[in-house]
Amino acid sequence: MTTTDTARPLLDIRGLRKNFGAVEILKGVDLSLRPKDVVSIIGSSGSGKTTLLRCVNLLEEFQGGDIILDGETIGYKTVGGKRVRLRDAELSRQRAMTGMVFQSFNLFPHLTAAGNVMLGLRKVKKLGKEEAFVIAEKWLNRVGLGARLEHYPSQLSGGQQQRVAIARALAMNPKLVLLDEVTSALDPELVQEVLTTIKSIADDGATLLIVTHEMRFAREVSSRIVFMEQGRIAEEGTPAEIFGEGRSQRLNEFLKSSRH
Amino acid sequence: MDAFLAQLWIARWPIFDGFLMTLGISAGAIVFGTILGCIVGIQLVFAPLWLRLPFRAYVDIMRGTPLLVLILAAFYIPAVLGLSLSAAHAGTLALGLFAGAHIGELLRGSLQAIPPGQIEAGRSIGLTFPQILANVLLPQALRISLPPWINTGVELIKGSSLLSMIGVGELLLKTQEVIGRNFMTIQFYVFAGVLYLVVNIALDLLGKSMERRLGARQ
Ligand SMILES: Nc1ncnc2c1ncn2[C@@H]1O[C@H](COP(=O)(O)OP(=O)(O)OP(=O)(O)O)[C@@H](O)[C@H]1O
Ligand SMILES: [Mg+2]
Repeated sequence: MTTTDTARPLLDIRGLRKNFGAVEILKGVDLSLRPKDVVSIIGSSGSGKTTLLRCVNLLEEFQGGDIILDGETIGYKTVGGKRVRLRDAELSRQRAMTGMVFQSFNLFPHLTAAGNVMLGLRKVKKLGKEEAFVIAEKWLNRVGLGARLEHYPSQLSGGQQQRVAIARALAMNPKLVLLDEVTSALDPELVQEVLTTIKSIADDGATLLIVTHEMRFAREVSSRIVFMEQGRIAEEGTPAEIFGEGRSQRLNEFLKSSRH
Repeated sequence: MDAFLAQLWIARWPIFDGFLMTLGISAGAIVFGTILGCIVGIQLVFAPLWLRLPFRAYVDIMRGTPLLVLILAAFYIPAVLGLSLSAAHAGTLALGLFAGAHIGELLRGSLQAIPPGQIEAGRSIGLTFPQILANVLLPQALRISLPPWINTGVELIKGSSLLSMIGVGELLLKTQEVIGRNFMTIQFYVFAGVLYLVVNIALDLLGKSMERRLGARQ
């Protein structure tokens, strides 16, 4: 291993611009993550956090800037000086390099917990049934659901469903995992089990980009914290810097308003 | 009653043939209509606008036209164009086109009822759109569609009786021929009616049990 290996960013977002119709939602976002970074994005509602993650997972088109994942520019190519969106097959291949966990779980209701985790392994990674099942079992064990392999999502609690979703994302062995307010839809007593799961995968060396309103969790788990405001990154630093003295007026106000 | 049973015994084979013809034509139409309906339903939801329009027109025309008119059209138009279709084939074609429109429309509704998060979850693990369709959307949509799909089958069984108008030897026409010989009008019409009813109740029960089996898993 040379030093440049860890120096090269795993994810490099440069000047990302995104609008919905005439409204500019992301106004030039620069953000870069090295392998094993755990970066949390905080910021008030509507500041563009979800939109940023969705651009990285290529669920949204974007109008300007580049997203470079492990050295590969994703989502667009340049043909004769013009920027064109890649085709579905290409986008799918690139999407498989990142995992995403959604606020509303989005488990497949017609498949069991194991079936949810196996689908990508079978269809994208083209693994055989047995092989895929072994991996699904391993990851469901990892999130504490080894006894629920054959349960359908409707038979699981919200916290359990979200842990299945985490297993589904991680089983694909993505380079980067995006988590968008994954505990916001949960009853308060179920939040901790999911946060604990995320903490443990962070400790295992996964690279995570997390949008969260759980300030205490962000402080504990993150190597860096990013504060977004109106489609821009307004502040960025270590948890100590962000939560310590010397932060900006705006960040101060945000942190005060989010502590209740 | 004895006289009816004696006549029924004499007429058993023609009536049985007619009954089989009714089942065969309905089965053919539901298979054709389901394949067609899947294509139509998917296009109505996911195709670009210009491609959606012809499918929309097909569905609206089929659903807005009386079934008997469709049957007569399927019988006479190919003949005018110089194609030779047997009456049974023309009838199956008409019923299949009719079913395709209804199934297409109900599949459209089912597909649109699936939350968009399902497509996004599929995308995020790297599935291509056809893979999402086959593994995420259709299994869910077909489940929602099952009860009205069975209902379309029932409509086809009943609608197939209209094929007697173009001389297809299905249950109703065979029954009318038998009545022409023995003049037991009421008895044989009631008998044919009971046969239709039995098949449709059986279909209904089948649908309910499938629904229960699938429902238990969700
Ligand atoms: N599909 C869309 N069409 C139009 N506007 C959108 C769309 N999605 C998001 N927006 C707008 O983009 C802005 C940023 O939304 P986004 O969901 O990224 O915010 P957020 O920071 O995740 O907020 P929250 O904390 O409430 O989740 C908002 O003003 C929102 O109204
Ligand atoms: Mg959001």
